[in-house]
Amino acid sequence: MRRWIALVLFVAIAVISVSTDAIVFKVAFANRAKMNHEFTTYPDRGWSSYPEFLESVRAHTKPGDSIALVVRTMSWDDGYSYAYYRAAYFLAGREVLPLLREDDMPLPQNFGRATYVAAWHRNVKDDTRHVVWSGDGGVLLGH
Amino acid sequence: MAVVVAIVTTVVLGIPIALALDRNARGPILVGLAYLYGTGLIYVVELALALIGVHWTALNVNAVTITIAAICFFARKPQSLVLSPQPWLSWPDLATLLTIYAHLTWATIARVWEWDFWAIWGMKARTFYEFGTIDWRFLESQWNGYVHPDYPLLLPMNYLYTALVGGEWNDRWLGLITIAFGVALLLIIRGLAAMETRPVMAATITFACALFAFTRFIGLAEGPMLAFAGAGLLFVRRAIVFDDDAAMRHGALLLGLATASKNEGVALLVTVVAAVALSKWRLLARLWPVFVLAAAWIIIPALHHIRNDQTRGNFVARVFHRLGAFPQIAAMLLHFLAFRWMWLAVLVALLIVPRQLRARERFVLLAFAFQIAGYVIIYCGTPYSVEWEIESSWPRLTFHLATPLLYVTMLMLAQTYDSGHAEARSEQH
Repeated sequence: MRRWIALVLFVAIAVISVSTDAIVFKVAFANRAKMNHEFTTYPDRGWSSYPEFLESVRAHTKPGDSIALVVRTMSWDDGYSYAYYRAAYFLAGREVLPLLREDDMPLPQNFGRATYVAAWHRNVKDDTRHVVWSGDGGVLLGH
Repeated sequence: MAVVVAIVTTVVLGIPIALALDRNARGPILVGLAYLYGTGLIYVVELALALIGVHWTALNVNAVTITIAAICFFARKPQSLVLSPQPWLSWPDLATLLTIYAHLTWATIARVWEWDFWAIWGMKARTFYEFGTIDWRFLESQWNGYVHPDYPLLLPMNYLYTALVGGEWNDRWLGLITIAFGVALLLIIRGLAAMETRPVMAATITFACALFAFTRFIGLAEGPMLAFAGAGLLFVRRAIVFDDDAAMRHGALLLGLATASKNEGVALLVTVVAAVALSKWRLLARLWPVFVLAAAWIIIPALHHIRNDQTRGNFVARVFHRLGAFPQIAAMLLHFLAFRWMWLAVLVALLIVPRQLRARERFVLLAFAFQIAGYVIIYCGTPYSVEWEIESSWPRLTFHLATPLLYVTMLMLAQTYDSGHAEARSEQH
């Protein structure tokens, strides 16, 4: 009796394994082009053109530059944290400086310290800097 | 594609290391081990170059790794006359191949999209690649706590190896590395299972293990952690059950590389020590490679004043404080448990199999139980919200040792069936 129960359980585990993995099989045979678009835009949902803006900022700066970041949401939990982390990834090699702490306390010293200010969907006035480049919904200011 | 070239190169570099440790390794076990050891070699070489102040280039990293691989090749011992049997292909292997294909397409649908990839693992790799070495200023920066500077670097080092090979950072196909770790683990499982049961059973065990061997979290260090921890545990088990010297060497080194993959690998070190002590204590000293590799990534960050965020404040006080709320924590663990039917089936199976088989497999059963208990203690001591920690990590953490658990469970079921079958046949005759 025990050996038959063992066999049933052995087969059952294999069946559970494949049924639990069903989502992966479904994706494997889904419309790949559509899925590619969905997954490519997934990390930046609600922030379309922000990655393109960051790529352009990268193209107009060089390794070692420090860049202060201004975006449309200047609240840590409402999007600034995402914007900062994402900028740090796209601008690897440069030093991205946040203008907020996690408790939303401003960090004006980082604004002054930065070689560049990257502003996306936000107007920034600084008489000491000029526009280096603009596009993709934003502007790059430098000395 | 640079990633494919990097994966193939990694396997080639790893073959002499696997053979130096076990001259009789062949077939799927050799290929699986070769990939895992190759990634370990790349990690150790890049870390060593960074520590002595040499900036990485494709030339110097490849020159050092090839030199070490060549030394291992010439240092290998003569092949023994008694070789382990080669696994025969069986029809469930086709299902495993289909599973690999499904995971491959899933992992390469787009450039790696997971938050933890571009904010932690890929972030470090890309930053270090741009900097040419480990950027300690980046890791020590007060603004960069989100990258978890204390996390071990085996995976980022392998990502940046693909960039060195390709000459530029490109995250479009890095999901292949997650799959490579899963395939390496499955190859090892297939080879090990073939030594203990019939081909059709071994192939079915491998197919079922794919559920846990392939992580759904593409680009994260779950892939290497599952592979190193799973394979390491299965080799130590083999050393305990069959007095296999070569298996102990593999087990100790692979578990050491698990400590270089995730901080949970260090927790696994404690778990394995306890489980070996209770299973075959005289093998404890042979775990020394685990301690060496773990110590490296404990000492180096400490020198840079990089601390593990879980140990911030009074960890022990938090654990005792939260033990009062243990029923709620247990309810949350149950609520967020993934693949419940599988766990239930495994539990029933463990009750069904003969006691002597359970006793034989006590190392893996104890290691799994201790590791889960360790994770629960870490949840109780976390400086963050326990609910958030459980929700965001519990489904991943339960998988770390699920593969070896599923392997021994299915093996015990197969042996229970086969021994009953043999008894029935002997009675007929």
